[in-house]
Amino acid sequence: MSKYLEKLRNCRLAIKQNGGIIGAYLQLFRTDELKYGNHIGTDKYGNKYYENKSYFVARSRWIDYAPKYGYDFDGSQVPADWHRWLHYMTDDPPTKVKPCPDREWMTDHEENLSGTTGQYVPYSTVTPKIHSWNPPKNN
Amino acid sequence: MLRLLPNSRILSKAIPPVNISYKARECASKAAETVEVFVDDKPVQVQPGSTVLQACAQAGVEIPRFCYHERLSIAGNCRMCLVEVERSPKPVASCAMPVMKGMKIKTDSPITKKAREGVMEFLLVNHPLDCPICDQGGECDLQDQSMNFGSDKSRFTDNQFLGKRAVEDKDIGPLVKTIMTRCIQCTRCVRFANEIAGVSDLGTTGRGNDLQIGTYVEKMFKSELSGNVIDICPVGALTSKPYAFVARPWELRRVDSIDTMDAVGSNIVVCTRGGDIMRILPRIHEGINEEWLADKSRFSYDGLKRQRLTSPMIKDESGNLISVDWETALLRVCDAITSVKGAEIAAIAGGQVDAEALIAMKDLLNKLGSESLNTEEIFPMDGSGTDLRSNYLLNSSIEGIEESDAILLIGCNPRYEAPLLNARIRKAFIHNEIEVGYLGPKIDLSYNYQHLGDTTTSLENIKSSQFYKEHLSKAKKPMIILGSSALQRADGTAVFAKTQQISNELKEAGSSWRVLNVLQRVASQVAALDIGYRPGVENVRNNKPKVLFLLHADNETVRREDLGKDCVVIYQGSHGDQGALMADIVLPGAAYTEKEGTYVNTEGRAQRTLVAVNPPGLARNDWRITRALSEMIGQPLSYDNTNEIRDRLAEMSPNLVKFDTVEEANYFKQSEELFKDIKEKIKQDSFSLPMIQLKDYFMTDPITRASPTMAQCVKANNKEA
Repeated sequence: MSKYLEKLRNCRLAIKQNGGIIGAYLQLFRTDELKYGNHIGTDKYGNKYYENKSYFVARSRWIDYAPKYGYDFDGSQVPADWHRWLHYMTDDPPTKVKPCPDREWMTDHEENLSGTTGQYVPYSTVTPKIHSWNPPKNN
Repeated sequence: MLRLLPNSRILSKAIPPVNISYKARECASKAAETVEVFVDDKPVQVQPGSTVLQACAQAGVEIPRFCYHERLSIAGNCRMCLVEVERSPKPVASCAMPVMKGMKIKTDSPITKKAREGVMEFLLVNHPLDCPICDQGGECDLQDQSMNFGSDKSRFTDNQFLGKRAVEDKDIGPLVKTIMTRCIQCTRCVRFANEIAGVSDLGTTGRGNDLQIGTYVEKMFKSELSGNVIDICPVGALTSKPYAFVARPWELRRVDSIDTMDAVGSNIVVCTRGGDIMRILPRIHEGINEEWLADKSRFSYDGLKRQRLTSPMIKDESGNLISVDWETALLRVCDAITSVKGAEIAAIAGGQVDAEALIAMKDLLNKLGSESLNTEEIFPMDGSGTDLRSNYLLNSSIEGIEESDAILLIGCNPRYEAPLLNARIRKAFIHNEIEVGYLGPKIDLSYNYQHLGDTTTSLENIKSSQFYKEHLSKAKKPMIILGSSALQRADGTAVFAKTQQISNELKEAGSSWRVLNVLQRVASQVAALDIGYRPGVENVRNNKPKVLFLLHADNETVRREDLGKDCVVIYQGSHGDQGALMADIVLPGAAYTEKEGTYVNTEGRAQRTLVAVNPPGLARNDWRITRALSEMIGQPLSYDNTNEIRDRLAEMSPNLVKFDTVEEANYFKQSEELFKDIKEKIKQDSFSLPMIQLKDYFMTDPITRASPTMAQCVKANNKEA
């Protein structure tokens, strides 16, 4: 009996954490998953990181992508410092222990742009077979 | 410096020109003056005076050779053609040995084989093993023959690491690359330069192992036929500079085509790889180019890849040409045409247009009600004008030059206007000892000629000249070659009438030999005149059309100033050159390697090109552009494919589809009658030529003007001068 009560409690907590019935429904629709846990931290892009050790390892830490990504979230939007925590490379989240000091030369994290207009296209090093005529411009 | 100067008497006996040997064979069959020899015990009847090698060839046995070449004199220095002859103490060089009655030749005996193996071994001892990086690899005579006749193992050892014989490379210009270490001293290039090209730039220095081919002092090989030494070199000593390390022969797709750089219509093979032209080689045609090719035709192919029109263009508000799609461009053309009267439309065709494009444009303009179809090149229209075909053709044909016994050249420079025709005249000069007279500015024609003056007065007084009295009037088959350059003059009609009159006087009654010849300068002119274009652009200048089509016309015969302010100029062509610069609408057409086109050469021989590569970008076959335009205007032309347009060509003039036949043209007498009414007098003036020196030869049309190789040739020639 207590087993079922436990389930019910988890369900109630999850709905509560995700913003009531409507919020929970939307979260379920977006991520196909409804969980509750401790909010460990938020990165500079607005992604929230949660942990609940009552789930088994590999499901006990998760990310709630920032609302600005909408349905276009993907794994490459996790910055490097949170990536190591999320993947159990360390137990210390970057909010507690910084993996490395900030350097001037460090660039901002950038998601994978493949398939978008911002994707990297290697330029051709081969001279074109045909050189087109460029008509002269008269200012 | 040893120069292998041609000795005409020896030559004419050893390698008689084709027509003479042919005739000799005819006579011989009647008189049965042949010699019987035995090649590998097989009896063969051969001409007396022919060589052992020729006898073997007649028996179907090919003797390996390096120095022997059918069209060159015999050197006999490579020794590769050694064969055993019975009762001869040692193997004989078959290329130089005349046959004797009852000779028993053994081409496959152990002695022959051993002789070949020995010669091959000596050649390879002095030849570098660089086949993997050699441009001749795959089409090298030495490679092939060492496989067939060489030893299976090498005895060459270099225990002291002295290295093989090495020779310094020569710099003989931007077209021919030399790697002289590979040279086997066959002297084919020296003989070619001296005999065929008529330029004694190449020669040999030193003896024995130190023998070198070169120019003695470092200088350019200044000839318009220099590229041919690449073809005749049996090894990789002379290779093409623009083609160096570019492709291998087995990777290339070969497409037969026709050259359009001059009006000779040389047969060529366009070699392509992956939709890219790699090189152009000559194709054998005994009637036109034999196996040679002029440098402009051979090396200007890189001009087909530069300055190309790859998309239609129209002028925007600020007067700049911008790229648009076909629909926009054709609609703009359509608007221009439909807003004017039919008679206010005109067209000018340039020098490299195919007959299909010409007829499509003519049909379209005629449908719209315009008769103003012009060519850039001028030809007199008074008298019988272009109505009689014999007026504008090289009537006695290029091959006919070899039969001729006296030639008079008037106001032309065949050396640069038609290099292969000039090579024929030189061949006739050397083998048949014909006399050549020349009217025009003093130039180097690569053979001796009698200079009869450079003014028109000399033409009028030609009959009092010594050349006329002694040679031309006594000749059985005289030829008069009138250059198209001389007809560009204001008094072209009078010059033509005078030349025609002289020619007809020389013509023997009852003889089918035609004396009068006109040497055209551009590839499309004969086809344009056959189809009914009006030569010259006077018509356009006077009538000020509202819409002007420029069909590959880039020679600035009409400038923007000559036209009305409201005239819409539509350029259709392959290159961004003068024509596209003055155009309001540009339609990208195809160059001669990119379309199936018919070209008629100066003899009146129709030949066709095939598609070697596709037109670049949005460019299209020219007649199809005109066809699409006619559909948009609402006056569709009646042909949709190549066969149908060729039917239309046949309807217009049947000779246009009788490929590779020279349609005979006559009516010289009638033509002269029609010219009798001409009152025009020849102006006292000197003949001028556009091409005098070799440097003038290289850049003459949009393709060659776009070619970096041709630019290098001009630069090198300027430096040399």
